[in-house]
Amino acid sequence: MNVRRRIMDRMWLGFALVAVVLALLPLASIIYYVTVRGIAAISLSFLTHNFNQVGTNGGIANALEGTFLVVLLSSAIGIPIGLLSGVYISEYGTQRIADSVRFLADVLVGIPSIVTGILVYSAVVVSFPAPYNGYTAFAAGVALGLMEIPIVANTTSEALRLVPNSLREASTALGVRKWRTIILIMANAIGGILTGILLATSRVAGETAPLLLTALGSTQTFQGWFNSIETMTLFIFQNGTSGTPYLVQQAWGASFILLVTVLGINVAIRLVTRKRIVFV
Amino acid sequence: MDLGLDRLNALLLDMAALSQQAVSASIDAYSKGSKGNEVREMSHRLRALHRQVSDLSMEMIARYQPVASDLRFLKACMEISYGFFRYGRYALDITNVLDMFGDLSKCDKKFVVETAKKTQEMIRMSVEAFARRDVEMAHKIPEMDDIVDESYRKNLRQTIAKKGGDVQCALSSALILRYLERIADHASYIGESVEYIATGIEPKLD
Amino acid sequence: MYNTPQGVSVETEPESSSDVILPLEAQRSPIVEVKQLNAWYGSQQVLKDVSMKFARNHVTAIIGPSGCGKSTLVRCVNRLHELVPNATLTGSVMLEGVDIYGKQIDAVDVRRRIGMVFQKPNPFPNMSIRDNVVAGLKLAGVRDKKKLDVVAKNALQQAFLWDEVKDKLENSGASISGGQQQRLCIARALAVEPEVILMDEPCSALDPTATAKIEELVIKLSDTYTVIIVTHNMQQASRVADYTAFMYLGKLIEYDETAKMFETPREELTERYITGKFG
Repeated sequence: MNVRRRIMDRMWLGFALVAVVLALLPLASIIYYVTVRGIAAISLSFLTHNFNQVGTNGGIANALEGTFLVVLLSSAIGIPIGLLSGVYISEYGTQRIADSVRFLADVLVGIPSIVTGILVYSAVVVSFPAPYNGYTAFAAGVALGLMEIPIVANTTSEALRLVPNSLREASTALGVRKWRTIILIMANAIGGILTGILLATSRVAGETAPLLLTALGSTQTFQGWFNSIETMTLFIFQNGTSGTPYLVQQAWGASFILLVTVLGINVAIRLVTRKRIVFV
Repeated sequence: MDLGLDRLNALLLDMAALSQQAVSASIDAYSKGSKGNEVREMSHRLRALHRQVSDLSMEMIARYQPVASDLRFLKACMEISYGFFRYGRYALDITNVLDMFGDLSKCDKKFVVETAKKTQEMIRMSVEAFARRDVEMAHKIPEMDDIVDESYRKNLRQTIAKKGGDVQCALSSALILRYLERIADHASYIGESVEYIATGIEPKLD
Repeated sequence: MYNTPQGVSVETEPESSSDVILPLEAQRSPIVEVKQLNAWYGSQQVLKDVSMKFARNHVTAIIGPSGCGKSTLVRCVNRLHELVPNATLTGSVMLEGVDIYGKQIDAVDVRRRIGMVFQKPNPFPNMSIRDNVVAGLKLAGVRDKKKLDVVAKNALQQAFLWDEVKDKLENSGASISGGQQQRLCIARALAVEPEVILMDEPCSALDPTATAKIEELVIKLSDTYTVIIVTHNMQQASRVADYTAFMYLGKLIEYDETAKMFETPREELTERYITGKFG
């Protein structure tokens, strides 16, 4: 009896190990492949020239700028609304309301990004009055912002719920106003909140589908919020499908840059959750 | 803690029986003119039992921090056991009178023996009131105490008024009546303690 | 000065709270009075028609078995009860003669005047000891550093904690022992200058030495404040409280001077509970 159990133990261990290897293998190969292919494309000219499918001196300069600006707008929309919604879910309202809002947020997170893209396309790109219509950086920011809101709301409310109730009670029992108590609780949950924001931001920065319907792409540097704009993901899409080896190479280069950025954000998350912020 | 309380109760009942016997023996010795040697033994034993009760009560208080009726019982235990101990002690005192005064066969013992009967009745009542926690019975004891007190004083007055007569008889009677009066007082105290256990009421001190 | 109990223990519990005889001192100038208080969590009633007066500058203990409503009672006094979802109550609680549930009354102000110390010490984890003590003031917007330092020292001294932490005021509030944390929480409550201090089983998470220190502190505090302490430990009630109230299944059963209640309780139920026959 005992021997059989020991064998079972070993078998399960074996299965688990194999599964882990199978899971990590694709991930490792992606990193490897992208690095090997992409690093060759990196050069000063690559980093300083704009997207250009004509000739051989294109680069990601305007794509980087574009991604940055679009994500900036999306965060300006997504973070405040998401944060306050998260606070509402966690701290205000009855259990019923909080559950409903959270359910709604969960659904919104699950909506395919192309659907959000179509929505913003028809509401902003097509229907806005001239000169604010058409493919614009503004529309792109709005689309990504709409995606960011539910993510931030959920992660914020979860982070706040993790703060033990004894803290709220201690503060309330001292005669501290509710809004001030909430700020105290947020300070305690800051690690989780920032992590949520970073995750949401990196998620939308990596989106492509909605941008196809809102930003369109451009070979120029930033031309104003109500003009089209280039982003890293669009760059990869446009060059990667072009068929020209040189341009495909550029797509790998951009992918590599993105990969490094994702890595950087994860490191930032680690740092944020380790350090404790003292706050009154 | 219940074990301890039961043990205390048993000890007190033992003391009750023993002290009753001691007093009876001493009165018998008086009326019959015999020695009453066993009374000394009983009195010593009662003293030892009183010490035991006292120690056990203190131990229970220290260990269990009892409250309410349990606490009142422990306080009363110590008081009641002292009462039984005193019964025995006075019984011994009575037999000591017999030793000191020698032959008292010519004395008129009727009055003392009658008073002794009443006192013994009071002892019986105190024991029964304790055994059954009978507050009604406890209330009846002070009435008899008054009677015994009056006997004691009446005898004293008569003795003083007589002036002369047999000193030996007069003194021995007076002393024994005094002891009986003290025993009666303790019976009253025991009755008060029984009431205290049940209701927590203690009589006002006048 | 004493009222002697009138007779042998009553067989049944009192019909309503007005049957319960209140101790004399409490009747004279009560600082807090609870009137016909009923409280519910959802549809479950946890307080049934409780009325009592709390004596000024004394320690009053509330004892009773788990679920008797003693914690709920004190939480109704500082208006924490209403913050629980689905919690409701009827009746009134008077502080210095004014109903704290009145329409004009600011609940936040009530909570400043009636402080609370909880069962598990809960200092703010991200704050230093000093900041913890003055948190009530800082979170209300007080910025004057000098004043805050004075308040902190004063409160810590009152809580018998100053000597132990005066050299490490900047350390985290969580870096001290459990007993010290609880005294820190007491200091924190004292810093906002309350009139009444509620304590909900403050020693149940502490060892005997820490407990003894806090009991000593409670007795000293009653010189200046009114203390209402909920405890499941009857010996603690008999050690620290001038008055004790016994509750059972949401009702107030008996309320008397501690010494009298523990020597000769009036109610059969009280007698059975304190001699350990149930609960």
